[in-house]
Order: sequence, then C-alpha cells, then structure tokens
Amino acid sequence: MSLTGAVYDRGYRPYDGARGARGAATLALYKASMRRALGLRRSWRQKIAPFVLLGVVTIPAIVNVGIGYVTRDQLIDRIELITYRDYVGVSSALLLFVALVAPDVICPDRRQHVLPLMFARPLSGPDYVLAKVGAVATILFLFSFLPQVVLFLGNMLVSDGAFTYVREHLDIVWKVPVAVAILAVFYAVIGVALASLTDRRIVAGAAIIGLFLVTSIASGILTENASGGSYGALLNVLALPLYLRDVVFLGHVDPVEPLGGVAHGGLLAAAVYVAIVAAGAGVLLWRYRWVER
Amino acid sequence: MSPDRLSGDVDAGPLLRLDRLTKRYPGVTALDDLTVEVPRGRIGLVGANGAGKTTTFRLLLGLAHPTEGSVEVCGIDVAADPIGVRTRLGYMPEHDCLPLDQTAADVVATFGELSGLPARAARQRASDILDLVGLDEARFRPIGGFSTGMRQRTKLAQALVGDPELVLLDEPTAGLDPLGREEMLALVARLGTFGISVLMATHLLDDVQQVCDHVLMIDGGRLVVFGATDSLLERTGRITIDVGVAGAQLVERLRAVPLAAALVEGLVEVDVDGDHHLDVVRDVIAELGLPLHRLTTRLTSLDEVFLDRASVRP
Repeated sequence: MSLTGAVYDRGYRPYDGARGARGAATLALYKASMRRALGLRRSWRQKIAPFVLLGVVTIPAIVNVGIGYVTRDQLIDRIELITYRDYVGVSSALLLFVALVAPDVICPDRRQHVLPLMFARPLSGPDYVLAKVGAVATILFLFSFLPQVVLFLGNMLVSDGAFTYVREHLDIVWKVPVAVAILAVFYAVIGVALASLTDRRIVAGAAIIGLFLVTSIASGILTENASGGSYGALLNVLALPLYLRDVVFLGHVDPVEPLGGVAHGGLLAAAVYVAIVAAGAGVLLWRYRWVER
Repeated sequence: MSPDRLSGDVDAGPLLRLDRLTKRYPGVTALDDLTVEVPRGRIGLVGANGAGKTTTFRLLLGLAHPTEGSVEVCGIDVAADPIGVRTRLGYMPEHDCLPLDQTAADVVATFGELSGLPARAARQRASDILDLVGLDEARFRPIGGFSTGMRQRTKLAQALVGDPELVLLDEPTAGLDPLGREEMLALVARLGTFGISVLMATHLLDDVQQVCDHVLMIDGGRLVVFGATDSLLERTGRITIDVGVAGAQLVERLRAVPLAAALVEGLVEVDVDGDHHLDVVRDVIAELGLPLHRLTTRLTSLDEVFLDRASVRP
C-alpha cells in the first residue's frame, strides 16, 4: 500500500464579511466582561464564587416557597418569611459579589497592560466604561432578580390559585425589576469606579467593602439618637438605593428607616443617588481619558 | 478585504502621510516636524530608544493628538476619524499585554469581535490565524503557560485577526532566541503576500534589512532618512577588491590617485563616487598587472546608514 497525501499551508484568508463599528466593539467587550465575571470559558475555580453566591442569595426564596408548600393545606395564615420589597435588599452575599465582580472585570486590563490592545480597536474611553459598567450592572441585576423570580414563581405555584396570585401581585412585575435595576446600577458604578483606581483586585475589593461599611457605620452614628429622621442617613452609601426601593414599592421612604421622618426624603435620596452615580461615572471617564489625550 | 487589496490597487494613495507632524510633551519633544509619505509595503521604523517610535504609533492609532501637523493612515485623517482608522489597523505592542488566565483562542477571538467581526467569524478567524502563526496545537492552553516566543505569536495573531490593512509591530522580535527571531521575521515577511502592509518599529536594523522594503529612520523625533531599503544600501559607494597578496600595493597606488582606499582583512576597500572612479580602479589594476580575483560592491549595513545620516542631520 502506498501512502499518498499532501500537507497544505492554508495561508491567510482575508475577511470580506460584515463588520461592525463602535457599537459592535462595545457589545463584544460587554459580553466578554460578562463571561469573565461569571467564570465562563475559564477554569472551574473561577466559576465557584459567582455561582455559590448566587445560590446563597436564592436560599431565602427557596425556604420561603418550601414553607408555603408545607403549610399549604393547614388552616393558618400564610407564613411569609420574606417580602418582595425586603428581598430587594443588601445582603452580605451581594456585597461580596460586588467586591468580587467589579475588580475582576476591570483591574486585570490595567494590571496586564491589555488596555492598549483594547483601544487599538474601534473603541473609545466612554465605550469601554459603558461596556464594563453595563456588564457589572447586568450581572448584579441578574444576581438580585433571579431569586425574585424563584420567589414569585414558587409563591404562585403554592398559592390557592396561580392566576389569582398573579392578578393580585401584578405590581410586583414592574416594581421588582425597577428597584433591582436602581440597586444594580448604583453598586455597579461605585464598584467599577473604585476598582478603576487600582490595578490590584484585592485592594479594589477591600476598598469597595470598606466604603460601604465606613459610610454605613458613620451614618449609623449620626442617626442613632435622631428622632424624626436625620439627613445623616443620606451618608449611608450602602442603604441609599434602598430608600429609592421604598419609594418604588411604597411611594415614600419607609417611616421606620432613618430617612423616614425627613421632609422630601425620597427626593433627597434620589438627588444623592444621581450625584453619586454621576461622580462615579466622572471618575471612570477621567481614568480612561488618556486614550483621547 | 477585496482582492484589489492583494494587488495593491485598492488605494493609489500612500499608506501614511505625515505632514509637519509634531508632538510635544511637557519638557520633551517626542516628534519634531516630521514630514514623509510612506507607500504600502513592509516599512521599518528605525530609531534608538526614545527616538519617537512609540509616539508615532500612538499618533497613528489616534491615541494621542499631534501638537502640530497632521497624519493620514490609508487616506484617512486620524484626527477627523480615529475610530475609522483603527478599524483598518492591527497593533502588536512591545510589552506584555495579554490576559494570562485565558486561552489563546479565547483572547484572539475576543479581539476579533472587538475589531467588529461577528462572534462566529471571530472564532473561525482566531482558529485560522493561530494556525498561521504556528499555535494551532496550543490554542486552548492558558497564555500564562506560554513561552516568550508563543506569547509574541499570540500578540501577532490578535493584531491580524481583524484582517487589517496595516499592522503596527512594535519590536516584534524582542526577547526571542535566534530561532524564534527568524521564525517571527519569516511571518512578518509573509504578511506582504497577504496584502497587509507592515510598519515595524525596531532598533534592530538587521531585522529591517531582512524583511522591510522601505526604511523610515528617526532620531530624537526628527526624520533622518526615508527610502527603499535597497537604495539606501546601494548608496554607500564602497567596493571590495580581492587581488591576492598584492593588496597593499594596490592601496598605495590608489591613494596616490587619490582615492580613499584601505586594506581590511586582506581585501582592498575603496570609496567610489560614480562610474569614473570604477574606471580608474580598473585602469590601476591593469597598469600594475595584478590578478583581479573579485570586485564587488560592498553594501554598508543600515547601522552605518543610520549612524552616518544621524550624525550629519542638522
């Protein structure tokens, strides 16, 4: 038998298909950042933290639904361990998630000198910022929204009538995503902005947690003995979006909150929210201004 | 890319047009009144460290704005449309710039998408280009485990994945062993046949001499010389003569003419300026009755051209 064959040098094949511009590049960076944050296309170690934390934040919903299922035939009032409004909240898992994800999507680009490669593409500084903040905000949204979906579907299925439950809770369908979006954008901007100030993930993560804890403690001290609410509550970066969550769910800030007794507390919270998001965006645009200099 | 690009007909204009290009930073002038038109092909951008090579790249990419003057790449004014320019360029930096915890296939595909390619096309091209640069076997391994040569190839692959018209290579052979250097230069030399122009910044003139058809030399931010590599080498005007053991006799006679002659390692080297000097050399050898074993034009190296031109530059 004779062996015949040839080794082919496939050479270079030019690309003559469709080609996107800035929008396509921004979307590509957004998707790549999402994959990175979730550990996709990376080793299994990188997948542990995000998915374990997602599991942790979903546990209350599962427990709540489980209790509803167990007690569905008993003649007792419905036991609700957690409400939709409470569930749009700040947990240790969420804090850890922000401190984990935001530095991971932005610090390595600077530390490993990847930025020159990025900006040699049809991509501007603001495009880069938009893609990174968008990726983190999306992940935080999913992180907070998916447990709500589990809670809603579970409650619906264990209720006496699924259609009745949905009809009675139609407002939840828009209130939850709006409140979660407010939370996600806020923490994403703060997290990414802080992370952009260093190229070390551990430092960025510590700075993010530190900011939340320090402002929370400082605000707590200022509002501790104040009766009828205190402006000091606005210093609490950690809780600020929760006041807006209350506005979404209740139409006003919850009176039991430190900002509850302050006149126009909701408006003030919104103003501070916008100011902080604008400041964070300003920091990010400043950090990546060199590309246009 | 259309077939026209391969034949060089896509744009009759120059690849680069620098017009009085000046870039000043506080306390230093990185580029000073640089005016030159560069044709398509493989161009060597030569200069010592700090000569302005990296600044030139930043200006071409639209990552920095000129203090004065203008720059056009592939007929596009960089100041007017930096994004448009970047869609036509590939860039391979000198320093480490790759995410070490990702695979080569993933990184190159991602940069393909960032160049505007659809995801599927980017993945396919990443596979093809990594094959082209010799990383087909290693493309699913994390870059952190790559050797210097493999990382350089990955850097080249990400520069090519977007199918650029011009690729900017910043010291592509830096840190490579002799074999890796030869392989990298062979890859760079092949790019011309793919219809991709190359601007290769280096301080290694041997690299330029080996693969570039034009040379742009800058020193202290100013233009030293620009021209076809062959023409620069031919312009040296020194011939080497082998007349056996009578070299000293020939040198003495040529100096009496007078011509600048010297005995170098048994061979006679003579500076000539035109054919009439060659006639004189021929006549002297005939007059002395010496055996002429060999007479060749000695091409000076680009190093000598650079040193010579840089020293006389005002």
